[in-house]
Amino acid sequence: MSYPSTRYQLITEVKIRRESFGGILYKYGCADRGSLSFINSPQLIELLITGQQRHNGDVSAAIESSRYSETSKQKLYIALDDLVKRGYIHIQ
Amino acid sequence: MAELVRFMERPGRSPGQKVGAVHPMALAAMQQTGEMVPQKNERGSQRFLQGGLSAPITVTWEITAACNIACVHCLSSSGRRRPRELKTEQALALVDELADMQVFQIHFGGGEPFIYPGIWQVLERCTIRGLVMCISTNGTLITAERARRLKQFDPLYFQVSLDGGTPQTNDSIRGKGVFNRALRGLEFLAAENHSLTVNSVLTRFSFHELDQLYEIATSFNARLRVTRLRPSGRGQDVWADLHPTKEQYSEFTNWLMAHPDVLTADSFFHLNAFGTKLAGLDMCGAATATCCICPEGEVYPCAFFQAPEFEAGNLHVHSFREIWQNSTLFDFYRKMGGGACSGCGQYNVCHGGCPATKWFVHQKLSIKDPECVLQRG
Repeated sequence: MSYPSTRYQLITEVKIRRESFGGILYKYGCADRGSLSFINSPQLIELLITGQQRHNGDVSAAIESSRYSETSKQKLYIALDDLVKRGYIHIQ
Repeated sequence: MAELVRFMERPGRSPGQKVGAVHPMALAAMQQTGEMVPQKNERGSQRFLQGGLSAPITVTWEITAACNIACVHCLSSSGRRRPRELKTEQALALVDELADMQVFQIHFGGGEPFIYPGIWQVLERCTIRGLVMCISTNGTLITAERARRLKQFDPLYFQVSLDGGTPQTNDSIRGKGVFNRALRGLEFLAAENHSLTVNSVLTRFSFHELDQLYEIATSFNARLRVTRLRPSGRGQDVWADLHPTKEQYSEFTNWLMAHPDVLTADSFFHLNAFGTKLAGLDMCGAATATCCICPEGEVYPCAFFQAPEFEAGNLHVHSFREIWQNSTLFDFYRKMGGGACSGCGQYNVCHGGCPATKWFVHQKLSIKDPECVLQRG
């Protein structure tokens, strides 16, 4: 379970691209190949792009600056926890 | 205007207009594969790839055909520079286009990329545009000075090719003296702490030297990357003699499981049919996750599928974006069915194997992969 006090920070090596189904996360830095994830949630992709482009990778700040419902926030925190496990985000 | 100067032959086009007619042999081969097979595993990445991405994830760019060595299995039959190779200014425009499309990574190959006159400007432009770079090199032209100079580009990864753990095996494929020259290149790159992999094409003869290759890579603080031999280019002439046996593939699968840090560039997904799921994608990414740009601007589904019949377009005539998004050949390619593999219980884990291998061995795409591990013999 995540808490609003947790700070989610995108790691520098992550690149994000929008796609029709949501988007792609690509992390380079692992020898000659990066890791790759297909994200089928446009909302999550937009949040990550906002965090990267407007908040210097601080995804928590992106959530705070947006008007998500509590239900949406909880879903996003769960998704962010998953991205922490996959190595795209670290917790500060 | 600048774009017109760079690519004088490109005609004016309407957005969305289809690019190129499909060669009749390619069309027939693709149509014979039937309808796309519905995926049982709805959680797999293939459902996203099959839908078509806005841009490739990785582009292999064979930037020149010029090479100072002549490997017997060279998939692009490299040697001499070709007449219509992209000029540096055109190459820089292409980097900009790939960056605008948000391609994540360019994998430079050839030929030998360090023979391309504009390579330093191209790498500089990639760095400025934030593209991840990987250079596949034979290592023989790497000097201490070049290794130092390359430190200015970031992120940049190197693959240095060794096709055997001994000079005898490697040099029988890559040429006399190349083993030691490649090791020297590795030394220079390692001395500058470049991120390295030792790239090795698995053959019937190098199979016995996998442990030695692993040790060599480790000694340079590099990772070993093993890839599949394809019968394309000069590889067509030697494939029958060099491609691993089914027994070797079986042992190799176990070896990979025991060496999880070894990279495979996802090229052994056909071995998933043994029943052991290997790391990485479980399907071919040609024309969906990747494609190949060849020295004279030809665009193919992947680096292994450089068959004239499967040219999706040419950069002297169309932009890369036009080719990726509107190529008739890519349209058909992305909708191919499973052919003879459609009813196979393992289709979900290997997706019928490598189309390029099927084409170059039998000129068909509807057949099983010639190295299908479930076939007898």
